[in-house]
Amino acid sequence: MKRMACVGLGLLFAFAVFPPLYSAEIADAKKEGKVVIYGSLETGTMNIIRKAFKEKSGVDIEYWWSSSTKVTDRITTEFRAGKQLFDVTLNHRPLLKIMKKEGIIGTYESPAFKFFPPEVIDREVGPAYRNVIIGILYNEAYIKPDQAPKSYEDLLDPKWKGKFVMADPTTHTTTTQWLASFPKLMGKEKADRYIKALGAQRPVLVDSITPASQKILSGEVPIGFTFTKYIVIYGKEGAKLDYVRVDKMLGDGQYFGISSKPPHPNAARLFIDYFLSEESMKILAEVGETVPRKGVFPAFKDADKIKYVEFDELDSKGFAEKSQEYRKIFFQ
Amino acid sequence: MGAGLAFLSLYPSFFLFYGSVRSTPLGVPGNFTGANYVQVYTDPETYRLIANTLLFAAGASGLSVVLALVLAWITVRTNAPFRGFLELTAVVPSIMPSLLVAISWVLLLNPSNGVLNELTRASLGIAPFNIYGLSGLIFVEALVLTPLAFLIIAAALRGMDPALEESARTLGSSEAGVALRITFPLIRPAILAAGTLNFVRAAETFDTPAIIALPARIELFTTKIFREAIGSFPANHNLAATYGVGLLALTLFFVYLYRRLTSQVERYATVTGKGFRPHLIDLRGWRYPIAGGAFLILVMMVILPFLTLLLVSIMPYYQPSWHILQNATLRHYVNLLHDDRIYRAFQNSLFLALAGATVCILFAAVISYLTVKTKIWGRGLLESLAFIPWAFPGTALAIGILWAYINFPIPIYATVWILMVAYITRFLPYGLRSVSSTIIQIHADLEEASATCGAGLLATLRRIMIPLMRPGIVAGWIILATFFIREFSCSIFLYSPGAEPLGPLLYFYYQEGAFGAMAGVGVLITLVSVLLILGARALPGREVVG
Repeated sequence: MKRMACVGLGLLFAFAVFPPLYSAEIADAKKEGKVVIYGSLETGTMNIIRKAFKEKSGVDIEYWWSSSTKVTDRITTEFRAGKQLFDVTLNHRPLLKIMKKEGIIGTYESPAFKFFPPEVIDREVGPAYRNVIIGILYNEAYIKPDQAPKSYEDLLDPKWKGKFVMADPTTHTTTTQWLASFPKLMGKEKADRYIKALGAQRPVLVDSITPASQKILSGEVPIGFTFTKYIVIYGKEGAKLDYVRVDKMLGDGQYFGISSKPPHPNAARLFIDYFLSEESMKILAEVGETVPRKGVFPAFKDADKIKYVEFDELDSKGFAEKSQEYRKIFFQ
Repeated sequence: MGAGLAFLSLYPSFFLFYGSVRSTPLGVPGNFTGANYVQVYTDPETYRLIANTLLFAAGASGLSVVLALVLAWITVRTNAPFRGFLELTAVVPSIMPSLLVAISWVLLLNPSNGVLNELTRASLGIAPFNIYGLSGLIFVEALVLTPLAFLIIAAALRGMDPALEESARTLGSSEAGVALRITFPLIRPAILAAGTLNFVRAAETFDTPAIIALPARIELFTTKIFREAIGSFPANHNLAATYGVGLLALTLFFVYLYRRLTSQVERYATVTGKGFRPHLIDLRGWRYPIAGGAFLILVMMVILPFLTLLLVSIMPYYQPSWHILQNATLRHYVNLLHDDRIYRAFQNSLFLALAGATVCILFAAVISYLTVKTKIWGRGLLESLAFIPWAFPGTALAIGILWAYINFPIPIYATVWILMVAYITRFLPYGLRSVSSTIIQIHADLEEASATCGAGLLATLRRIMIPLMRPGIVAGWIILATFFIREFSCSIFLYSPGAEPLGPLLYFYYQEGAFGAMAGVGVLITLVSVLLILGARALPGREVVG
C-alpha cells in the first residue's frame, strides 16, 4: 500500500513537472545528452537552473555567457560559417528578431506559453521570461542613502561628474536601446536634453551592464546605472547595495530563441519547456529577477513598488544610427 | 616545408587584405570594393587612433627599456646584493597573464578606491594616482614588456668586451664617464632593438587596452578592431580587417627596423668574442639602496600584481576593506573544482601549450636546420617567410585567420585547431630564434667528422645535431608553452564556447564580475606555468632554461 502510494506520488510529481508541460520526448533528449545555450543570463543563475534541470531530465546544460551584443555577434558569425553550434539563446527581443529575419532563429511554441499573461507574449519570439530593469544603484558602504541622488536629474549635479558608471551606449546594444527609450520616461525633448547632459557628465564607461555593477560593488565607482537584480545577487555575498526610488524605470524583456538547426533539438525543446515552467520562474525570482508572474517579486526591498516601462525596439539600422549619435555625445 | 611555412604566413595575410576589400560580412558572398578604406581613412577618428597607438607604443616601449636597463645594469654590472634573485624575478612576470596584471593595477591605482590611493589618502591626505589615462596605460604595458627588454639588454651587457672599459678606466675616466661614454654606446644597438621589438608588441597588444582603454576613453588600433569585430552590433569584420591592414603596415615597418638593428647587435657580438668576464662596478655604500631600487621595480612588476590577485581570490567579493578581508574564504577555489567550464578551458590550454608548443618547436627546428646548416635552394626565402609573423599583430592575425578559415575545406573554425594554427603562426619566430641561436654555435667540423667516420645524414642528426640542439629546443619549447597557456589577443577573436582556452575565460569572468573566480584561475595559471618551467628545467639541456 505504502509502495503504491509512493509510486502514485512519484507519478503525480512527474506529471506536475514533465508531461503535459513537456511536449518533447525526454528519452530522445537524454540520448542527445546536453543542450548548448548561449545567453546573457548570469552564469550563477544558470548554474542553479542547470542543476535542477539535470536532476529532473538527466540532460546537461552547456552554457556560454556573454553580453547580448557579443552573444548575437558570435551566433551570427557561426551561422555564416555554416556552423550552428548553439541550441538555444537567451537574448533580448530586437536582436532575436534580427536573427530570426536572417534565418538563424527558428520557431518553437512551448506548451508552457499558456502560463504567461498575453501582454508579455511577443508574436514573433514568444513570452518574455524576465524583465531586466535598469536603475540607479549605489553602494551603501560608500554613499549613505541621504547623500544619494533622488532622481535621474540629480545625477546631472556637478558633484557626480565622472563619478558614476554605465555601459558604453555606443557598443552595448541593451544600453543603446535603454537610452533610446528615455522619451518614454520624460518625453522626447526633455530626454534629448537629458542624454546630452548625461554625456557631458563624463560617466565611467564599461563594456556592458554587469561590469558596471562590479564597479559599484567594489566601490571603485560606487554609483551607476545597472540592473536592480544585483541588489539580491551581491546581497547574498554580504554587499549592501540599494537603488534610487525614481518614479519609473525602463525594463528590457528577455526572451528565448531556438536555433533554426539545433544540434540537440529534443534537448533544446525540453529545456525551453522547463525554463518557462513555474519552478524555473521561482528560481529566477529568488535571485532577483523580475519575472512575468502575478504576485512574484524579486527579493529586495520595495521591489513590488517598482514601476517600469518596456524599452522601445530598434532594428539593425536603428542601432547603427543611435550608436553614432551617442558616440558624438559620450566620446567628444 | 617551405610550402607549409608559406601557407601559414601568407594565407592569413592574403585573407586579411581580402576581408578589407569585400563589400559583405564574413562568410557572405559579395563584391570587391575600396569603400572600407575610404570609410576608415576619411574618418578623422582613425588619425586620432593612429596617434594614440604611436604614443602608447612609444611610451610603453621607452619606459620598459629604461626599467630593463636599470635592472640589467644592476644585476649584470654591479656588485649589488641579491643579484641572482633579482635576475630570476625579472623574468617571472612573463608567465603571469598580462590581462590580470592590468586588472591588478586597476584595483591598485583607480582614482576612487585604488589600494595605493587609499594608502596615500590615509597617510598624506591625497590620492595622486589615476590609472585611467594614457599614462596609466603606458605604465602597465611597460611593466608587462620589461622582462623581454631585460633579456635582450642583459645578454648584451654580459657579452660585452670589457677591454674598452678597462682602457677608459686606465686613462682616468670615472665610473659614470665609463658608463656614459663606453658602456651605453656599446649596448646601444641592443637597447634600440629591445625598444623597437617592444614598440611592435605594445602596438599589437589587446590585453592591457581591453581593461584600461575604454574607461579612459582611449581608442587604439587593437580596441577599434575588437569593437568592429566582436564588441558591437552589428559586427563589421570588413572594417576590422581594414584597421588590421593599417596596423600590420605599421608593425611591418618597425619589424624591418628591428631586423636591421639586431643584425647590428650580432655584428657587435662577433667582434666581442667570448670568455671575458665584465668588470663589476663596486657600489660601495650604495649597494643596498641600489638593490632596493631594483627590488622596487620588481615589486611593481611581479609582487604587487600577484599579491593583489591572491587577495582577490580569497575575498568573498572584491572591495578594499578590512571588513571584507576578515571574511576571507577559499570558496572561489572550491567552486573552481566544480566548474566544468574551467576544466574544459584548462584542458584546452594545456593541450595547446603541450601539443602546440611541441609541433611549433619541431617545425622551428627543421626550418632552422635547413636555413642555417644546409645550402638548399630558397633557404633565404624560407627565412624571410618565417619572419613575417613577427610583424603580424595578434589581433590582425586573428582577423586574417578568421577570414581565411571560416570556409576552409577542412572545417577547423570553431574548434581548438584554429587556435593551434594561430598560435603556431604567431609564435613560430620565437621558436626559430631560440633554436637558431643554438644551431649557429654548432661548428661544421662536428658534422664533417661524423661524415668522415662513415655516419650517414640520419645518424649525424640523431647522434650529433639533435643532442647539441636540445638546449635550444627545450628553452624554445618552454617559452612557447608559457605563451600558449596564457594567450589572449588572438584567442578572443577565434575561440568558440566549446573550445575556449584560459585567456578568453579570464576576460569573460572579468566581464561577468566574477572577480574571485578570475583571480583564482589566474593564480592557478601562474602556478602551472611555474611548474612547466621547473619541469622543463629538470630535463637535459636545463642549463639554458630560465
